[in-house]
Amino acid sequence: MATSRMYAEDNFKASRQIWRGAMRAARPWILLLPVLTVITVLFLVPLLGILRLSILGEDGYSLASYATFFTDSFHLAVLGRTLGVALIVTLGCLILGYPVAYVAARYAGGLGTALLLIVTMSFWTSFLARTYAWMVILGSQGLVSNLARALGFEPPQILFTGLAANIGMIHILLPFMVLALFAVMQRIDRTLLRASEGLGATRFQTFRRVFLPLSVPGMINGCAMVYIVCLGFYVTPELLGGPRDQLIARQIGSQIEQLLDWREAATMAAVLLAVTLVIYAVYDFFFGLDRLWRS
Amino acid sequence: MFNGSGTLSRTLAVLVALFILIPMLLVAVMSFGQGSSLRFPPQSFTLDSYAAYFKSSSWTIPTLNSFVIGAFSAILALAITTPAAFAFTLYDFRGKRLIRLLVMMPLMVPFIVMALAYFFFFGRIGLLNTMAGVIIAHACLSIPIVFLIQSASLKGFDWTLVRASQACGAGAFTTFRRICLPILRPSFLVAGLFAFITSFDETVVALFISGRAASTLPRRMFESVRQESDPIVAVVSTLLFGVVAAVALIVAARQRRAARPANR
Repeated sequence: MATSRMYAEDNFKASRQIWRGAMRAARPWILLLPVLTVITVLFLVPLLGILRLSILGEDGYSLASYATFFTDSFHLAVLGRTLGVALIVTLGCLILGYPVAYVAARYAGGLGTALLLIVTMSFWTSFLARTYAWMVILGSQGLVSNLARALGFEPPQILFTGLAANIGMIHILLPFMVLALFAVMQRIDRTLLRASEGLGATRFQTFRRVFLPLSVPGMINGCAMVYIVCLGFYVTPELLGGPRDQLIARQIGSQIEQLLDWREAATMAAVLLAVTLVIYAVYDFFFGLDRLWRS
Repeated sequence: MFNGSGTLSRTLAVLVALFILIPMLLVAVMSFGQGSSLRFPPQSFTLDSYAAYFKSSSWTIPTLNSFVIGAFSAILALAITTPAAFAFTLYDFRGKRLIRLLVMMPLMVPFIVMALAYFFFFGRIGLLNTMAGVIIAHACLSIPIVFLIQSASLKGFDWTLVRASQACGAGAFTTFRRICLPILRPSFLVAGLFAFITSFDETVVALFISGRAASTLPRRMFESVRQESDPIVAVVSTLLFGVVAAVALIVAARQRRAARPANR
């Protein structure tokens, strides 16, 4: 009798422990439930919907739209131009951004603080406002053209060309680059630089042999970020660029606006998504995505 | 080339800083000008455009919409994402890496792709051209940034405080309200601000799904610079830059004041 009651009690305790264990195991999932539901229903479902649209032919699923995309010279030219422009803009940001981040990291206070302040202000300012600013500067009645006229020669068309779009994109993405570079440069050990100078290296040698290699992670982070954002850039190239140098994002837009060709728009979106995800995957393979997001 | 004082690098840095700063200052000059929004320098200076902005409902309504959409999407993103950030700091569970990737997805997918996806999806479920649709889309796009900020702040959180609170007899809810919330308040504010600005500045998705009824400020600005040479866009740009500049200068001044005693 006593044994059976003990047994029952043990059983009760055991089941309570199992219940508690289950509750403990369930806890993270209860906390994760809202975000998982929202991401699945309101993010993944729309995204997969558009991907499905790209492979949905008149009679069942087919990859015909992709075959068309990759054999059509116009579409390939748009894709190639997008990749090329993103590269130019990324390099432009790197070249312009490096000195700013370098000075901000090496000369704290005074000039360094002022530089960071300007970069941060630009970072937070509406990018439509900044795009509009370039329309004012580069337009046919704008600052550059009127300056050229005052100097006595007829200015060439700048606004609504690829050049204007590139300048605008560099201006808008520059803060990303500077902040990514600065985040890494700031952590470079100052004693290494002093050691190098103490051992007789010139300032330039110290920069080239010590500082520059140590800042490479920042360059990679900044370039990856700028390149990826640039691939999907819609508004600035649309407003500053010309009709002849359209990028893929703009193409997606005009397929919908003018032609209402869902399938082709969805195909281009899928290609853009694939290119972006490949870049993320390569980054993840070499460095791990966490590092990109930490900055 | 690189002499003792680093003149070259400083000069370059200052030149690039001017390249960053001058376009924004130029817009401020434009906002006081009269006539076309694309003519520089303006012929004469007035405050007419400012008055016109505040009087024109085709500008004030999108402005208001942007504030409402920004606020609601930020609150929504905070409410959805914060529990997940707790789960990631407190527990180890299966598929953690995969779920993390899933939560970060909205940051990885180009906005133009999501604009197309939401245009199609909301068209089907009847949320196209509604405030609710834009709020939902923006809340989803803000999830990653809120997640990153909240996770980072929870990492530095002292969990012994929670144990102490529970040892004193407080329940989970009381502990959250009286201990976690006050300590984490700055991080809630920062994450909320980031989510708000993500929404407030977001153009592409809004361009596709907001329609006339729920038109946001960036959408209105986009239409304005594409179709008309309306000087009000310079006013809006200046106001936006002015707010950012004022906040940045105040923060910088505060940091300087906070740093000074440490230097002495």
